[in-house]
Amino acid sequence: MIVRVWGARGSLAAPGPATVGYGGNTPCVELELADGTTLILDAGSGIRELGQRLVERDPGALYVCLTHLHLDHVEGLGFFAPLWRAGWKLRFWGPPSPTATLRARVSRYLSPPLFPIGLSEAPAEAEFEDAPREPWRVGSAVVEAQTVEHRGPTLGYRIEDEGRVLVYLPDHEPYLTAGLGDEPKWISGWALAAGADLLLHDSQYTEGEYTDRIGWGHSSMSHAASFSRAAGVHRLGMFHHDPMRSDRQLEALYDQVAEVVRDEQEPPLIARDGLEIVLS
Amino acid sequence: MERRQPDLVLIVARSFATKLATPTLIIDANGDLVYFNDAAAEVLGSSYLDVGALDASRWQELFQPRRLSDEEPLTAEQTPGGVALLERRPVHDSFAFRGLDGREREITVTAFPLFSHPDEVVGVMSIFWELPPAP
Repeated sequence: MIVRVWGARGSLAAPGPATVGYGGNTPCVELELADGTTLILDAGSGIRELGQRLVERDPGALYVCLTHLHLDHVEGLGFFAPLWRAGWKLRFWGPPSPTATLRARVSRYLSPPLFPIGLSEAPAEAEFEDAPREPWRVGSAVVEAQTVEHRGPTLGYRIEDEGRVLVYLPDHEPYLTAGLGDEPKWISGWALAAGADLLLHDSQYTEGEYTDRIGWGHSSMSHAASFSRAAGVHRLGMFHHDPMRSDRQLEALYDQVAEVVRDEQEPPLIARDGLEIVLS
Repeated sequence: MERRQPDLVLIVARSFATKLATPTLIIDANGDLVYFNDAAAEVLGSSYLDVGALDASRWQELFQPRRLSDEEPLTAEQTPGGVALLERRPVHDSFAFRGLDGREREITVTAFPLFSHPDEVVGVMSIFWELPPAP
């Protein structure tokens, strides 16, 4: 499985000279599975550039797992080239709702007055459905979705492909509902992340910022590190960077995270636009 | 590593209960007791830290719930929490039990099922009050 990050910024796209190193695109991760299948995690602004690359090849099937429908995770769909070209077959999964279909919920953004073109006008064949409650197969991978702690219905995903595991929890506040010393099974997302080779996890805030934003649905960097330790993760990828965070600030904060996981994990990484990791 | 954990709804319910001053008890979808808060500990006669999680038959055996009207023993399924779980509806009722400190008590309970999906109950939250002794 090849993991390619097309966007790791949280909340709001943040282009500019201060963020050019780690990038300003909102969440989108491409997984190239062992059998060649393309599985995409979230549709933030990073999916625009991914789409441009995908349409260089012949139309085919694409699979997209949406963690939730906050704007920074779906705002790229209006410029995701395969959706706007005939011949492509897209299958979307997202968080369940007892009141509206996933298509109807995504259409709230992809419709006037928020967007000039409606989803129903997209030439591609697009199916939308609630993520299954049990693990399901996509290409050579098994995908598992679980509801996790964030504002509103939100999923985390675990993707296992040929024995290697990526876990994706871009928006997650596990320590809102658990103490740092709690039994792991009472920590949101623990079972999903357990033993992962790579965990891309919400690391939006500093400790000081978190104190003022408890309950906003995001983690401090040290909480992300503590969670990855509790789950026995092999490597943590800091993800969903605050839009106000410059490259220099991110690097300065890195040492705090590395300290927490030292001696137990591979050194953490700061996810950035263009990052490619081979899990094999 | 076994990757099993309670549904998020149960995790959040437990977290909510830890912050409540009202006696609150939570059972999971199997009827097993998975948490009660400090306020509940006063009524139940022991703390959750001391008791820990209990399967349905064990907590029934420990607390010996009984009907108020005739002192007939109640099975776990006949307590308000059990009815809420089996019939997937809120229940309000009173019953007697023996606290873990050995003291007999009467309580009134409101129990309601916790739905994670419209068709899936992951547990029951019960809030309760000790009834004042009969004059």
